[in-house]
Amino acid sequence: MLSVWVVIAAYNEQHSIGRVLEGLQDFDRSMKIVVIDDGSNDETSATACRFNVTVLRHPINLGQGAALATGISYVLKQGAGIVITFDADGQMDPQSIPELIRPIREKGFEAALGSRFLGVKAEKMPLLKKVTLNLATIFTRVTTGLKITDTHNGFRAFVADAAARIRIKQNRMAHASEILSEIARNQIKYIEVPVKIIYNNYSKKKGQSIFNSINILFELFMGEKK
Amino acid sequence: MTPIKLIIIIALIVILRAFLVQPSLLFAKRLIALGLFLVLLLLVLFPEISTRIANLTGVGRGVDLVFYVSHLFLTFLIIALWRKTVSLEEKLTRVSRLISLANPVKETGDFSIAVTREGNDL
Repeated sequence: MLSVWVVIAAYNEQHSIGRVLEGLQDFDRSMKIVVIDDGSNDETSATACRFNVTVLRHPINLGQGAALATGISYVLKQGAGIVITFDADGQMDPQSIPELIRPIREKGFEAALGSRFLGVKAEKMPLLKKVTLNLATIFTRVTTGLKITDTHNGFRAFVADAAARIRIKQNRMAHASEILSEIARNQIKYIEVPVKIIYNNYSKKKGQSIFNSINILFELFMGEKK
Repeated sequence: MTPIKLIIIIALIVILRAFLVQPSLLFAKRLIALGLFLVLLLLVLFPEISTRIANLTGVGRGVDLVFYVSHLFLTFLIIALWRKTVSLEEKLTRVSRLISLANPVKETGDFSIAVTREGNDL
């Protein structure tokens, strides 16, 4: 059985990280978890350390993309079989994990991408967010050629070998688009899986403002790195 | 000499000095800076030169030509600085990643450590 590692990037999430870790561990004790505290200036690390998880900490805040890349490189060194990326703000439901990794375990897919627009509806998704996400998805389809229904959904699973081939160079939010283009570039066999995302007041406040989509486009175009 | 010429010349000297005080600057770069300074000094003292060049290139006034050229130069500079920032950020990321991977605040199964907010801050 492939060992499952959950990678959680957290920046100033002291109010939700405890609940998220509790939810994951209550659901399945066999999953190993690494929290990357992305240079928070609150009690994120201390809170995470109360759980039986690994905690890494960036000395300075670099962004979610950088934190995930750090976490992924850590779990690959630990011999992870499957790597799951999970959000620290409590939007994701651990109950979706078995569904997410099933195609990898049983059908030979190398990556499973959570989608908010397949099957189960995202709960209480603000309309404006829906519109922006749809535009972003169209943009991603055009630029990567992937026939996906959702983009910038942080709920994903990769088999170790695929995770190792994906190079995240975008430190901030554009990494989500970058992961998709890496999937396309490396011809990683992927599938979309419906996941439940719950928009609570906390996650709405902490999550991406739709105006940030402009920043993400800017990062993608200007941040091209060799 | 008109006041504006004096102001520009003083500014040029200040800029040149700020550039030249860098201790580890290559001699060739010092020469280039000095050469550029002399050219600009000439243009300030004898603006007719820029007008003549402007006319040759199809631009009406010398100041306009100077404006166009400096605009292009500044744009180039911004792009160069942008690239530099990107590459610095890349290095910073690599260093931060190495630090955090080498010093986990806590690893699974380890309950022995008391953690402070600072974690493994430098």
